[in-house]
Amino acid sequence: MKKSIILFALLGLVTVSIAQKKKTTTSATINFDATTPLDKLPKAENKTVVASLNTKTGEVAFESIIKSFSFGNPKMQEHFNAPNWMDSEKFPKATFKGKITNVSAVNFKADGTYSATVTGDLTMHGVTKPVSTTASIVVKGKAISTTTDFTAKLADFGVNGPAIGAGKVATDPKISVIADFN
Amino acid sequence: MTGAERKMKPWLKRILVGGLVLLLIGGIAIWYIFNEKFEDTSKEPSAYTVSAMDFIKEFEKNDTLANKKYAEKIIIINGRVSEMEAADTTINIKMIDTTTDAYIIFAFQQQHRKAAKQLKEGDTVSIKGSCSGGAYSEILETEFITFKRCVLNK
Repeated sequence: MKKSIILFALLGLVTVSIAQKKKTTTSATINFDATTPLDKLPKAENKTVVASLNTKTGEVAFESIIKSFSFGNPKMQEHFNAPNWMDSEKFPKATFKGKITNVSAVNFKADGTYSATVTGDLTMHGVTKPVSTTASIVVKGKAISTTTDFTAKLADFGVNGPAIGAGKVATDPKISVIADFN
Repeated sequence: MTGAERKMKPWLKRILVGGLVLLLIGGIAIWYIFNEKFEDTSKEPSAYTVSAMDFIKEFEKNDTLANKKYAEKIIIINGRVSEMEAADTTINIKMIDTTTDAYIIFAFQQQHRKAAKQLKEGDTVSIKGSCSGGAYSEILETEFITFKRCVLNK
């Protein structure tokens, strides 16, 4: 009986310790750039992305409401959300769940700039695909700033609108993610 | 061929002129559509005015219905600033239901970001913006509702 109490207490401590290492923000930013020489309009930003980073396990996660992407041009925003593009009515969220594979190389307790390798699963338009990218992590006191840039092939996620075929939307848009954890 | 024969037939001339006019109108319409920018939200009419806590509760109760009602509409939300959170080079405003941690987050329109930075936690405000909808966050295990192109409602 005594042993089980101690075991449960230890388990509780470990859980609390891991949970404390999980940092979150609700204001991560994703910039989406699908511009081409023919069209400079397919470009948007989303500043209300939810993100988490576990500095102990290296687990990272992002989730974004598709309709939160803000375009300068109303027609372009309408096309982006339409059924032959992101179909945001049917697939309202995009998510990423992954891990920093070299988390031991990042000292979250010492100021500095670190290079991290992130791999995980990106889900958008109802399709999940593996993604691998490098991220820059800047540690300054208790603040952790992370940035990464990668491209996503729209066809891999079942997005095949006519504008892509016509060269007005990039086949592999550039996606940059900025998340600041305090 | 005589000069009279070379002269364009009236019906052909009408078709060509009509075609050119249509092309011109079409060109102007396309130019307008693709050069149009979202208007300043302060000038846009609002569809609803709701208190922050009532709004959050409506989404928590049934976000499918709430999304149908509010998404992509201009809404005025009245409430208290719970948090100001850095978003890259700017600030987002949050209103949080402390009983469930569900929240509304407002991202401001470029020209109104400076005004948003002047706010403080605890301020009672009225914010007008385009509701992007709400969803359950698997990361935070609570409901979150996002707004874009927001302005302080005066």
